Amino acid sequence: MRIRNEEKVQLVKQKAIELVVSDGFEGFSVNKLAKACGISVATIYIYYKDKDDLITQIAVEEAKRMSDLTLEGFDPESSFSEGLRVQWVNRAKYVMNNPTSSAFFEQLRTSTYQEQMMQCLIGRFKESMTLFVQNAIKKGEINEMPMEVYWSVAFAPLYSLLRFHTEGRSIGGKPFFMNDDILWKTFDLVIMALSPQSKN
Amino acid sequence: MNTEHILVFRSNIKTASDRFAVERVLDSHPHIDQWTVDCDDTDCVLRVVSSKLTHKQVIAMVTKCGYNCEELID
Repeated sequence: MRIRNEEKVQLVKQKAIELVVSDGFEGFSVNKLAKACGISVATIYIYYKDKDDLITQIAVEEAKRMSDLTLEGFDPESSFSEGLRVQWVNRAKYVMNNPTSSAFFEQLRTSTYQEQMMQCLIGRFKESMTLFVQNAIKKGEINEMPMEVYWSVAFAPLYSLLRFHTEGRSIGGKPFFMNDDILWKTFDLVIMALSPQSKN
Repeated sequence: MNTEHILVFRSNIKTASDRFAVERVLDSHPHIDQWTVDCDDTDCVLRVVSSKLTHKQVIAMVTKCGYNCEELID
């Protein structure tokens, strides 16, 4: 009986993500992956049907892991600033602790695999986020606004800082590393921008 | 998933018309649960899910259609 070797499966996943990040989807092949893992091509085909199946399965699993980590300790019923703070902590942690996976998602965003991956983000993740925003509107903590406007104000500043951090430099090539002071200063500005009072 | 039932081969089934040539035989076989060919791969890997067939039997079937097929060793 052939035993599914979990260590090998994990190695295949890790190396596949690394290979997509370094060579892109066009440069990715099962043969290259097998070489990178030091295993036979046949072994990979036992786990996955083909290149598309492999990338889709890995993307879906990684997206699930990311959404679980993003929802850790997050309560959609909490106050807006508290909930958003947890979101910022979780999202920053994910990107900073998983730079390769984050780069993998960046590649996925502009690929044909995007749709399948997004479908698995729908569900618990989308429900929690939607409920959270609806609660905040109901409680008068933020104004009603198009979802894209909300997302851009609530998260794009965070992802900009994280991109600077990952690349190690900001505008004009200035060296940059994230710290708590910068993170929470930006967060306070975001909360201010989203607060109905800030219009006055 | 029982990986024991997955048979993997190197082939020269490269194009859509190559695929079409083996499709009839593999699709209609009562002991083949599922099969795929990765035409993008250099080995054109044929993957057959079957609890009853052996590598040898699949090789015979594909060869009869006029294609190369050899077992890929795990």
